[in-house]
Amino acid sequence: MTRILLHSRVDDCLSAWRSAGFRVLAPSKRNDLTRFDEVHAASDMALDLVLPERTIKDHFFPQTEPLLNYRIKKQAIESDEMLPPQQKRIFFGVRPCDASGLEIDDALFGWDYKDRYWFSRRENSVIITIACTRADDFCMCTSVQLSPDSTKGSDVMLHPLKDGRGWRVVTLTDRGKELAETIASMLQEDASETAPAASVPVKFDLDKVTSWLADPSNFESHLWKEVSQRCIGCGSCTFLCPTCHCFDIQDEGDTYSGIRRKNWDSCSFAMFTMHTSGHNPRNTQSTRWRQRIMHKFNYYQGKFGVNSCSGCGRCTRQCPVDMGITETLQEITNLPR
Amino acid sequence: MGIQEQYRTDAANLLDSGAVKLVIGYGEGSTPERRRPIFIRSAEEVGRLVLDANCIANLSAYLVPEGLLSDGKSVAVFLKPDGIRSVNILAAEAQLNPEQVVILGFNIDAGLANPLPGRKANEFAPLLASLKSAGLSTDLQREADRLEQMTAVERFEYWKEQFSKCIKCYACRQVCPMCYCRRCIVDVNQPQWVNTSSHTLGNFEWNIIRAYHLAGRCVACGGCDRACPVNIPLRLLNHRMSKEALDTFDHFAGESADQKPVLATFRQDDPETFIL
Repeated sequence: MTRILLHSRVDDCLSAWRSAGFRVLAPSKRNDLTRFDEVHAASDMALDLVLPERTIKDHFFPQTEPLLNYRIKKQAIESDEMLPPQQKRIFFGVRPCDASGLEIDDALFGWDYKDRYWFSRRENSVIITIACTRADDFCMCTSVQLSPDSTKGSDVMLHPLKDGRGWRVVTLTDRGKELAETIASMLQEDASETAPAASVPVKFDLDKVTSWLADPSNFESHLWKEVSQRCIGCGSCTFLCPTCHCFDIQDEGDTYSGIRRKNWDSCSFAMFTMHTSGHNPRNTQSTRWRQRIMHKFNYYQGKFGVNSCSGCGRCTRQCPVDMGITETLQEITNLPR
Repeated sequence: MGIQEQYRTDAANLLDSGAVKLVIGYGEGSTPERRRPIFIRSAEEVGRLVLDANCIANLSAYLVPEGLLSDGKSVAVFLKPDGIRSVNILAAEAQLNPEQVVILGFNIDAGLANPLPGRKANEFAPLLASLKSAGLSTDLQREADRLEQMTAVERFEYWKEQFSKCIKCYACRQVCPMCYCRRCIVDVNQPQWVNTSSHTLGNFEWNIIRAYHLAGRCVACGGCDRACPVNIPLRLLNHRMSKEALDTFDHFAGESADQKPVLATFRQDDPETFIL
């Protein structure tokens, strides 16, 4: 049975989901920024974007998150844990790269300790992904063994129809099937042809890259300095990345009370590895950039069996000096064997 | 000979003669329109240099990393008038010796890059004086005027909305030639003077600190604004500060290398209208 959802029925779906207690988030443009935000009507959505500028990671691992509040008394320290609200959410119109990013990060957040903040949000969220029929110059999912219609990390996949009336609906998980049932009356049987997935050229040789990175003799390669010379050391590539997950714990308040927070941090920053002594083991931008590439394509692979990159290309797309993962991995690909 | 060919030849001659050890310029980027900063150390590589109307970044920030100029050798750099002004400010603030900076100057007019005569920052003084007398403007003038018309409360709301987008990636700081502090105040953490959290208050703290530290120093290159991954119109803030410095103290940032930093000097005839 092939079912489709027409664009004209999206508003009905939103009403049904909202009355079932879901918050619905979709790509939208507000204040000159495209990101996932709560939507109340199909007209709030910006589904024609190749990708929103911000990732859905923000809604699972926010840039700043309170963990607990504390009060220091004469004889005791009191604290109250602060947990994220138990809110059922639907993410509508996710791109396959962003959905894959969530699954890549599940490994990290569930490794030696199950991060309650990440997983309570994961378990309360349904991911409805739309396969890409368009790509831009920076997309590179096919270079990291994913694709414009990859199902990784998604609960429901929508494939745009060739005639542009709507999407073919494919449920992928139990959560996705349950959700599709809530809008069963709005779906119709229809075997219309789907539009071809976007064509995304392969930009580098991932196998060659990962084996080059795994060779310890390349750790001190001159390539690192060359490729990172223009890096200005901002954190935009890490903060816009759907898989970068580093954070710092900070106490905010005065002598007697405050809030302990988990804030995004970035390996691009000199402060990231600064020791209390003043010694900094990564004291140049090239060693910091090497860490970022090694972490994504060597260490993460070694620990969890996957690369920590889903090919969205935001790192290059929004880099102030036109430098991202693609450019570095192309340089490695082009090295003589 | 076009400007690109001319400047490639100039760069090759500067490197070959040993007049400079490095040329900082623009090269091709990842799309046909993009240009990226490149670093040329030998005459054989000058063919990688590109110069056209897409070369908009102010490359002067690459002059200040610790150690680059400490050997006394010179560096050549492609600069538009905004970048030349940055070099003057960096010289005035004792961050570099302008004699070590060889300028391959150009401006962009009607979609074309045109050469500017001169090699050292002080040779561009007439050009910078004419820019000062032309007055300040911004390509966001309508938005700037709209902000001026707002009440303080409305303006606060406007910036609250804008700053709520900030993620504290510090791209605005890192790309700015004026942000050369070895350790930025927000990175001073023993104790942590400014909260690191990127919530609305934290974002206000950062963006106001950044804007104030640029008062009378910004050359309106627009680098921060272009670098901002969440599209905060930072050049509106900078423009307002520059206007204040010009109107109140007749200070056009980077007019010359011996210009005194406006907020670090006192003149007997300074207007003190803001002192109650």
